[in-house]
Amino acid sequence: MGMKINKMLAAVGVSGMLLGTALVGCSSDSSGGGENEDGKTVVELAGWGSSPEEEKLLKETIASFEEKHPDIEVKHEVIADQYMDVTKTRLVGGEAADVFYLDALEAPSLIDTGVLEPLDEYVTEDFDVEDFEEPLLNAFKIDGTQYGFPKDFSTLSLFYNESAFEEAGLEGPPETWEELGEYAQKLTVDEDGDGQPERFGLGLSKELARQFYKFQPYGGQVVDDNGKAAFASEEAIASLKPVIEMYQEDQSAGLPSDVGTDWGGDMFGQGKAAMVIEGNWTIPFLEDNFSDLNFTTAELPTINGEKATAAFTVAYVMNKQSEVKEASWELISYLTGKEGMETWTSKGFALPTRKSVAEELGYDEDPLRQSFVEGASYAQPWQAGKNLPTIMTNFDNQFISALLGEQTLEEALQKAQETANKEIESSN
Amino acid sequence: MSPLLHLYQERGVNMDPVKKEDRSQVFQKRGSKQKKQPKKPKKMMTKTFKEGFSGYLFMSPTIFTIGIFVVIPILYALYLSFNDVQLLGGIGYEFIGLDNYTRSFDDGRAMIALKNTAEYVLIVVPVQTCLALLLAAALNSNIRGKNAFRIIFFLPTVTSSAVLTIIFMWMYNPDGLINTFLAFLQLPTYNWLADPSIALKSIMIMNIWATAPFFMVIYLAAMQDISDSVYEAATIDGANWWQKFIYITIPILKPVTFFVVVMGVIGTFQLFDQSYIFSGGSGGPNNSTLTIVLLIYQYAFKSLDMGYASALAVILAIIIMVVTLIQKKFFGEEKLHD
Repeated sequence: MGMKINKMLAAVGVSGMLLGTALVGCSSDSSGGGENEDGKTVVELAGWGSSPEEEKLLKETIASFEEKHPDIEVKHEVIADQYMDVTKTRLVGGEAADVFYLDALEAPSLIDTGVLEPLDEYVTEDFDVEDFEEPLLNAFKIDGTQYGFPKDFSTLSLFYNESAFEEAGLEGPPETWEELGEYAQKLTVDEDGDGQPERFGLGLSKELARQFYKFQPYGGQVVDDNGKAAFASEEAIASLKPVIEMYQEDQSAGLPSDVGTDWGGDMFGQGKAAMVIEGNWTIPFLEDNFSDLNFTTAELPTINGEKATAAFTVAYVMNKQSEVKEASWELISYLTGKEGMETWTSKGFALPTRKSVAEELGYDEDPLRQSFVEGASYAQPWQAGKNLPTIMTNFDNQFISALLGEQTLEEALQKAQETANKEIESSN
Repeated sequence: MSPLLHLYQERGVNMDPVKKEDRSQVFQKRGSKQKKQPKKPKKMMTKTFKEGFSGYLFMSPTIFTIGIFVVIPILYALYLSFNDVQLLGGIGYEFIGLDNYTRSFDDGRAMIALKNTAEYVLIVVPVQTCLALLLAAALNSNIRGKNAFRIIFFLPTVTSSAVLTIIFMWMYNPDGLINTFLAFLQLPTYNWLADPSIALKSIMIMNIWATAPFFMVIYLAAMQDISDSVYEAATIDGANWWQKFIYITIPILKPVTFFVVVMGVIGTFQLFDQSYIFSGGSGGPNNSTLTIVLLIYQYAFKSLDMGYASALAVILAIIIMVVTLIQKKFFGEEKLHD
């Protein structure tokens, strides 16, 4: 009998211990904002990773904020991969940061779910909302309510290799998209004649984000008034035809993956494309990695006689579940305020969304950045309702196969539009 | 069963049937003992109860963890699959019956994912099984440096699949190792990563290379269990190595092959990490690397459509179960090798 009791005790003990360990493992430290040991208010700030230089700049900006607000501590966290998936999952679990980045593209759908704190009542006179570029501000405004303030933006410009232009006897950037096509042919080099150029005239990006701005000059659109995909129109086809022709017939344009590079900037830097259409994030990349490259930038060639470019913008938004909303607002208002933004955009990785800061930093006179600032006045923000992520995936999937000649552009766009709209319908 | 093998069994060379009988006798003995027990009902009841109780108590940590991390999630996924789940901005469930299931039949991407996955399974499983068998046969013979080869062959299996994928993506680069090698041999080169008609095959090649050695080890272990006397008898009868392989090795390994194929089918149906890393989570280019599990991931975490994602997961589970049952039928009722 004694032995049996011992056995029972052992069993209880072992299971108890294991259970205990399991439970200890589960007990979570409540994340999100709160107070730390020193009685400081902790605000969590989450964003995606960027270059070490940008990281350093953000740290500087945060440090100067903490200096001015000795009672607030900022905990900065970088979400390395699949930013929106991680953020959404954390929002569901109540574990998201107090303040986080939000791309304009994702804004309508996230605002629609009601997880973001409306910011209007926090705004004071000093914050000077009028100073922001209006189209960028509107990207985070739904039904008259402001949910985020844009921290920076970038437009697209034409990067061209001046040495290559000289070799080909070309002077100055192409003015129209037709001219761009001619230039690209002259700039394409296939020395060994294997039909696979060593250098393409133009490096292409196949994503909808890099194509959509071409629709408007022809009268096309990405989505209709109901937020459904509407790019399979004659107008949109007309605007994309030149790209397909350059890729298939002239072979004067290539994708980064055709020459074993990851993106246009890399392709351009390695001399595998004489021209690329990229954002101003490419400037520091090229200066750091390809310091010998002789390049400059220009506004994009006109499309169907009209100026057009895309604008990409990201805002700071506040988590509705945050427990430290006042302190979170202090952080947002500093980072998107005149002082914080000046520090953040001082190196020109991204452009300031405040007119006063742009003037202060003199980017409108910077030879490399001038074209990006000019573009802001006519740029179309990369945003098209809450279904854009679905629409984008389907466009990207089909457009590449049209580009590769597996189907016609008309078929591809039609298929992409149908699939996207079917998905939108069934998910509602 | 091959005629040769049958012959050897008659001669009493194969020990298996005898073993089985022995064991069943043991079981019967135990069983008959228990039948006698009800003579002292009360005491035995409490004894079995106590034994059972302490047994369950010892198992409780495992039952607890498996229950929480496996059983409950499975039941919960089943429940979710019948609901329209709203997660962001207030959690809400709405019972919608079989709508999630019917939706999948109308979902173009689900069909593409199913087609890709089926193609992947149909090519990868036979190839990796044959390769594993051949490698094992080679290593089971008396070649030099057997141990070194075993280690070399087994290396890919102990390497993390994410790391393998990234290494292969380097090699698959248009300017990478594989294309350079093909060009050197005057063979055509391919755009392994970006060409929609090639991308899935690139993953197939990589996976066959990485998983065949694992099954090779299983085959090898089983082969070393085959008694030499069977082969000796065959040699005396004048069988050459090929006949021995076809008529002795393969039939004896049939239960192992069943195991290898079943595991292979389950593993390949669940292809996720390689295609996720290859396409950066999109299943591109042009949905060519979209697999069912990747699609489930996309619906669950990109669209936060948990109900539909759960329904797809249940459908995948049913498909795997049906395929396994068909295989069981195909391989007969033989028990797994001991």
